[in-house]
Amino acid sequence: MPTLTINQKSITVPDGTTIIQAAEKLDIEIPRYCYHPGLSIAGSCRMCLVEVEKIPKFQPACNTRVSEGMVVHTNTEKVKEAVSGVLEFLLINHPLDCPVCDQAGECYLQEYYMKFGLYDSRMDENKIKRHKAEIIGPHVILDTERCILCSRCVRFVNEVSHSHEIGIFNRGSQSEIRLLPGKILDNNYSGNVVDICPVGALTDRDFRFQCRVWYLSETKSICPGCSRGCNISIHSNRQRPHHAGGRRVMRLKPRFNAEVNHWWICDEGRYGYKFIDDPSRISLARVKEKGEFLVLTLDQVIGRAGEKLREALEKVGRDSVVVVASPRLTNEDLFVIRKFFGEDLGLSQIDFRVPDQNLASGDDFLLRADRNPNSRGAEAVLLDENGFDLTQLLSMENSRKLQLLCLFEQDLTKTLGEAWAKKFLQQFEYVIYVGSNENETSVLSHLTLPSATYAETEGTFTNFEGRVQKINQAVEPLGDSLPTWQIVSKLACALGYRYNYENAEEVFGELAERVVEFQDLAYEKIGDSGVEIPDISKVQV
Amino acid sequence: MLSESLLEKYRDLTSRYPTKRSALIPILLTTQEEMGYLTPESVRFISDYLKIPEIQVYEVITFYSMLRTTPVGKYHIQVCTNISCLLLGGEEIFEHISKRLGIKEGETTPDNLFSLVEVECLGACCNAPAMQINYKYHEDLSVQKVDKILDQLKQQG
Amino acid sequence: MPELVVLRDVQDSELRHIEDYLKVGGYQALKKVLLELKPEQVVDEVKKSGLRGRGGAGFPTGMKWSFIPKNVDKPKYLVVNADESEPGTCKDRVIIERNPHLLMEGIVIGSYAIGAHCCYLYIRGEYYEQAQILSLAIEEAYQHGFLGKNILRSGYDLDVHLHRGAGAYICGEETGLLESLEGKKGWPRLKPPFPAVVGLYGCPTVINNVETLATVPRIMERGADWFASLGTPKNGGTRLFAVSGHVNKPGTYELPLGIPLREIIFNYAGGMKDDKVLKAVIPGGSSCPILTADEIDVKMDFDSVAAIGSMLGSGGVVVMNEEACMVKVLLRIAKFYAHESCGQCTPCREGTTWLKNILQRVNDGQGRPKDLDHLMGIAFNMIGTTICPLSDAAALPVRSFIQKFRKEFEYHVHQKACDVAQVMV
Repeated sequence: MPTLTINQKSITVPDGTTIIQAAEKLDIEIPRYCYHPGLSIAGSCRMCLVEVEKIPKFQPACNTRVSEGMVVHTNTEKVKEAVSGVLEFLLINHPLDCPVCDQAGECYLQEYYMKFGLYDSRMDENKIKRHKAEIIGPHVILDTERCILCSRCVRFVNEVSHSHEIGIFNRGSQSEIRLLPGKILDNNYSGNVVDICPVGALTDRDFRFQCRVWYLSETKSICPGCSRGCNISIHSNRQRPHHAGGRRVMRLKPRFNAEVNHWWICDEGRYGYKFIDDPSRISLARVKEKGEFLVLTLDQVIGRAGEKLREALEKVGRDSVVVVASPRLTNEDLFVIRKFFGEDLGLSQIDFRVPDQNLASGDDFLLRADRNPNSRGAEAVLLDENGFDLTQLLSMENSRKLQLLCLFEQDLTKTLGEAWAKKFLQQFEYVIYVGSNENETSVLSHLTLPSATYAETEGTFTNFEGRVQKINQAVEPLGDSLPTWQIVSKLACALGYRYNYENAEEVFGELAERVVEFQDLAYEKIGDSGVEIPDISKVQV
Repeated sequence: MLSESLLEKYRDLTSRYPTKRSALIPILLTTQEEMGYLTPESVRFISDYLKIPEIQVYEVITFYSMLRTTPVGKYHIQVCTNISCLLLGGEEIFEHISKRLGIKEGETTPDNLFSLVEVECLGACCNAPAMQINYKYHEDLSVQKVDKILDQLKQQG
Repeated sequence: MPELVVLRDVQDSELRHIEDYLKVGGYQALKKVLLELKPEQVVDEVKKSGLRGRGGAGFPTGMKWSFIPKNVDKPKYLVVNADESEPGTCKDRVIIERNPHLLMEGIVIGSYAIGAHCCYLYIRGEYYEQAQILSLAIEEAYQHGFLGKNILRSGYDLDVHLHRGAGAYICGEETGLLESLEGKKGWPRLKPPFPAVVGLYGCPTVINNVETLATVPRIMERGADWFASLGTPKNGGTRLFAVSGHVNKPGTYELPLGIPLREIIFNYAGGMKDDKVLKAVIPGGSSCPILTADEIDVKMDFDSVAAIGSMLGSGGVVVMNEEACMVKVLLRIAKFYAHESCGQCTPCREGTTWLKNILQRVNDGQGRPKDLDHLMGIAFNMIGTTICPLSDAAALPVRSFIQKFRKEFEYHVHQKACDVAQVMV
């Protein structure tokens, strides 16, 4: 554990730590372009040069391991001069087209020029002309004039995605990022190269020209795209509602979590946010009357749902009601469903497992075959004392008449296929659909309640490894929609139960007391990077 | 597509190294010597043969000045104009050849006989000015000497 | 005539075949080494001789060898740098063409000294005929039992493989060469780790220049003291000086280190061609800061040349007369570095081309008053800020040319023309 000083501040760090890492711990900013903690060390941009006493030459902080008694300076005149000189070199052939560049506002050329540059340009020559705005794949656009050849993208496709689409061709000032003729950057992790590009060379086709980044708010969340639970930030535009056709969620970015996804997310997750502001959103509650949808207030529709539920229970009994929850719901949603339907109403036919006809596959990196964010949580919350298996019901010809089906975020038409779904739905007198987006199943329902998406609510998901992670509200629930746990609470109230949870945290508090897998977990302890359920394998037994 | 003799050379070259990849540049050179330039098909084959991503093979090809992906003339004239040659008329030699053949730097005569490039130091400084035609060195050049060489090559066809 | 080391038997002839080499006592030093000396003794002898690397940096060879860690399981490699590409330098070619077996003998001794059983000889791709000469020499050495298994029944094994480059000056840099040898672009590696610890295929590696290794058999034959006595303190032995440019007898001359530059030019290279006036000399290849005619009394050893702000470099002496335009010469040098920069480090990738573009303008009569200061400033920012020395090599000539011939540059800028004679007056 060597102790060193950087700019007179002393710190002790583990063996093998580099100067740039030690400086980060001391909150000393060392500028960098090629260095990325998730990639091999290139050491070539030369922005992180520092002075180390007793070493005559500048050392790159990214590649220099600390040693006992090392004395490092990052802010001497010599270092400042060298760094600003490097920046000048990087900018001489840069087009300086910030007004039309999507990266403006989150560009490290801009940022470092203001912090470490501020020189007067000496560049009087013609700039080198290169390839502009090339579409290089389904998600990425390349502008080689803006490129500073940090090689992060090249290292990413070689070391992380192992897809090898990008290379640096030629040498010297003719060096340029290229792809093979006729080949494109097309792998499920391609969007990450945009994140790690420190300048405007690689931009996101999806986000391009939609919104200036300084209008964006960031909300920490979890990708709902599969059971990995990659940590993300939701970038939403609350300041300029007239931009991008009123879209509120503008993009998702990966958020570092050493236990889950490191710096990366897959493209399927990254671009899977569109449903949040899609026209297919169900924003208002409604009932079907004489084949026509009738929009009513949320409370009216919840009242109607309560009546239907009571009717079924009173007329036929508990065996006539089936609840199909979803592994897309939060632990809090699921707990309130279990509490109300299972415990208060005493229903036993509650499940969330629907056999999916469209089997997805995962990969050997982040993407999981299970495309639901909370299967593990749903198992823990719903299956603990419940022997019901929906599959059996689905595969049986039922002679008995079923009264009421309550579906949460379950597009059975898609998962089961149209014929099977219709046949199943027809066995019920009445179908209630609670969900965020319209689909083939929601339109078949008799009563529809609008639920909020993961971006509009807060709560927790449990990933496939048993890590409980928190989602936060990025934007307001659309229209009359509410988080599912609130809809169920209201329904419970309509049937005379007392449900007055203030927020997801309160629900979680009760969940932690009542569900063994969550025991001893405190909501505030989940933090930004989640907590793993201790000994989940034992608990599961 | 590739001759058995070339494949035999590949096998010989790869046998010299603990990693196959080390043979890449010698293999590219050998292939180019046999085929004139590196065709997309040969690059794909080599990438496959050595288990190197194709993009990385192209990175290497575009890095080294002797490797090319387009054909050159039968006689590839490489004139050095670096300092020692410059001091003794290397540029004049280049200009003379350019004028005589009617081609500029990087061009090939229409009959595909000659192509002309300016190159960096060939390591013939003590016998400047110098040029290389294909692999053969021609040194202590004068305009007259160059003319003789070109006459001879033209005759050989 | 001073005593010859490397060119001893080949001053006016060639010893391409092993039979000829054996006739003049070839491979006797190897016999002595393998049968009588331990590897450490060889390293010590070379250390004592004061031999410094002949590639350009002048690092003490024996010390370089001693950096190879002793107790590692990994194989060790000797890599021969025959990528001779520094403008003004053509001396390794002379050794290869005239005495390839001397190099082979040096290779076996060097490999033995560092415990290597495999050696790669990296030769620039343009040296095609030279590669054929070396191929033949390797073949003959195998046939005569100087390479392969159990060399001279000493129990020592060594394989030597020839490896051809494909046109990249940067591969003369040790780690750029290793990358190239591993089948990659010649991007120099970050140091540390140094090749002696993590070199070829991650194994301990020594990279030696052709001339350096060709010197070793002589040191083993005649002894370190003899060799050291040929040069000056800390600069043992002789050096091949490739003299080119405006002299009567351009050529490669083997002379003791420490010989005055004046003597090289006027006594050995026959003086100035057509009796023109000497204007400037590049003492050790294009990377080395230029010397004026007033500075040619410098002793040509590593330390003396460094003391006057230049470098002995690769021993390529480029002589220029009064008619050489310094702007044009510097432009050509700048073009070279812009063409050869590997493109990895920012200051070099961008700086080399920037320098070239400004110099092109100045040369074309488009110079602006601030250009010279900008050239100096840009060059300053390129020094000491990159992974390998190419950036410095591109910047140092710019600074020295402008410092020493500022008037000539100013004339170009202000008069928009070149008039060398006028400036000289």
